[in-house]
Amino acid sequence: MGNFLEAPYLLEAVVVVLGLALLMLEAFLPKADKRLVAYIALFGLAGVLVASFNMKAPENLEHSFWSFYATDNLAFFYKNIAVLATMLVIVMAIEYTPVLEKYVSQGSKQGGLGEFFCLPVFVCAGLMWMASAKEFITIFVSLETVTISFYVLVAYMRRNVGSLEAGVKYLILGALSTGFFVYGVTWVFGLTGETHLEKIGIALQGLEGSDSAVLFAFTLILVGLGFKVAAVPFHVWVPDVYQGAPTPVTAFLSVGSKAAGFIVATRILQPFLEMERLHSSFTTILVIVTGATILFGNFAAIPQTNFKRLLAYSSISHAGFLLLALTCTPDQFQLTPGQVVAFYLATYLLMTMLCFLVLTIVRRSTESDEIAAFSGLHRRSPFLAFALLIGVISLAGVPLTAGFLGKFFVFTLAIDSGRWILLAFAVVGAASGFYYYLKVARAMYWEEPTELAAIEISPLARLALLLLIIATIVFGVYPAPILGLLTN
Amino acid sequence: MPPVAFIIFSVIMLVFGVLVVVNRNPVASALSLVVSFLGLAALFVSLDAYFVGVVQILVYAGAVMVLFLFIIMLLDLKAEARRKINVVPMIGGCVLTAVLVLQLVSVLNTFEPGKKSLVEAPLDYAAAAAARPAVPEGKSDTIKRDLRENKLPDVRLLGEQLFTKFPFHLQIAGVLLLVSTVGVVILSKRELK
Repeated sequence: MGNFLEAPYLLEAVVVVLGLALLMLEAFLPKADKRLVAYIALFGLAGVLVASFNMKAPENLEHSFWSFYATDNLAFFYKNIAVLATMLVIVMAIEYTPVLEKYVSQGSKQGGLGEFFCLPVFVCAGLMWMASAKEFITIFVSLETVTISFYVLVAYMRRNVGSLEAGVKYLILGALSTGFFVYGVTWVFGLTGETHLEKIGIALQGLEGSDSAVLFAFTLILVGLGFKVAAVPFHVWVPDVYQGAPTPVTAFLSVGSKAAGFIVATRILQPFLEMERLHSSFTTILVIVTGATILFGNFAAIPQTNFKRLLAYSSISHAGFLLLALTCTPDQFQLTPGQVVAFYLATYLLMTMLCFLVLTIVRRSTESDEIAAFSGLHRRSPFLAFALLIGVISLAGVPLTAGFLGKFFVFTLAIDSGRWILLAFAVVGAASGFYYYLKVARAMYWEEPTELAAIEISPLARLALLLLIIATIVFGVYPAPILGLLTN
Repeated sequence: MPPVAFIIFSVIMLVFGVLVVVNRNPVASALSLVVSFLGLAALFVSLDAYFVGVVQILVYAGAVMVLFLFIIMLLDLKAEARRKINVVPMIGGCVLTAVLVLQLVSVLNTFEPGKKSLVEAPLDYAAAAAARPAVPEGKSDTIKRDLRENKLPDVRLLGEQLFTKFPFHLQIAGVLLLVSTVGVVILSKRELK
């Protein structure tokens, strides 16, 4: 397998070793401040992030042992998203320690917190494997690593009924969706005799006989993927799980899990969509799911009063916009649907993490996730209010923010490939987005606060917020660095 | 395998599978699950997958025994048995299952059945042995030896696949098991330090 430093799995191996080292540290230094684990994790992941930019991807793996492992720009881009999301989640987890202590430790100081900082590192490794996987068995084992870690993380606040209920719901529905996915994979294997996506593509081109079997397999796989990316009608778990889970985990689910789900979807859908005979049938199925996701996600978000639940529906609606890009077959537009999805997810990471970070800090001092808790936030902490304002206007897609460019690319792609009906849905959805996102801004700036005590922000969180605000605005005006990473 | 045995074992598997859901007593459910797995194992054996069949019994029956202990320890059996059935979700579930089965039937109907049955196409050990690649000097190919003696080296074949084609995936599965062990400890330990 050659030199370790040139191995295609180098970054992931480093992340796993980091996770193991943190578990050891946690086990052998029981007296130390558990937040030490988090700081070391942050430091290590930052190193991985820097290294990933300086790494040269090994090439010509197609005929080697590593033919199941993609090392293209897209894979590296999603690995960066995974590492960045994990770092921000750990920053959030540090802010969230008082809440965790209340529901996890019970008496002993910081009891059981160390693992809460270690597990995200393993999730990160799983997300990075998913980014590179282009073979069904690889996809399956990495997907399950991520999902099973999330079962634990969602139910982590074990003295909190909401968190446990969310954990059980996620476990049962997750297992069901995995069952559908694996059943679909066995059908594909039965039809083509391959688990490798590129070879499946070739086998599907020359497939004779029944079309319904291919459609059946496609639909089963779509059920599994739809669950991961929160597409309607496989979204039922989203609001409850997002609301019940610890806030940093919700943010991780919303960004990390979704991003990994979309890279897998991009890779899996490709061989099916290239099958000319059934191209229109596959697209029709996708278009129906997309339309339902955009409309449901946006309309169900309107009446929400809980900010976490609002972000859950917002997550569904963004999944709709992303799926819209995947249904397109571009004519003249220079970016492929996969690249547009990756760009959108990068901007989605910035703005969603911004919102969740503010939510974590406000939750700690007000003990509430309701939008009402944000009333008059600008009087209590102008910086937090401004950060959240940037976050929500970017999610809504106001020009000069990163969120606008993401939507702009998706809409351009839709126009380019003539998806007029979906485009109309998307415009209606985006318009209703303005209403429910700006509801939060109204609460912050125009409503009277219930208490006036200033909210403390730790220096680390302040730095993270500042960087996210700058990135959201800068990439909204000058997206070339992100696009450069994608096209190169 | 004659279709009679196939039908018997499939019926055993399906009937007891339904009983797992229908039974109100959790212990009876767990026992039905064991019988259902036995039927499944028999089907694997009938497909010449002896190893998978045996593992099915060893691992799953063992796992069900553990499940059993949990049921006895953790659940209030009487309260479970008294629980009312919620009619609307149950009807919904039945309808969905029926739709899925109908879908499956319609898909299978468009499918061309195989030209040969398994009985008509026995395993060709000699050809399989001849197709094995040469091994380096001083090493012996135990799979080839088994095939020459007209034995099916299924465990060896499985091991060969696992360690030559999927060693990377095996290690990912190792990380998965580590994470789940940590998770179980965190979620169930009485006092955390």
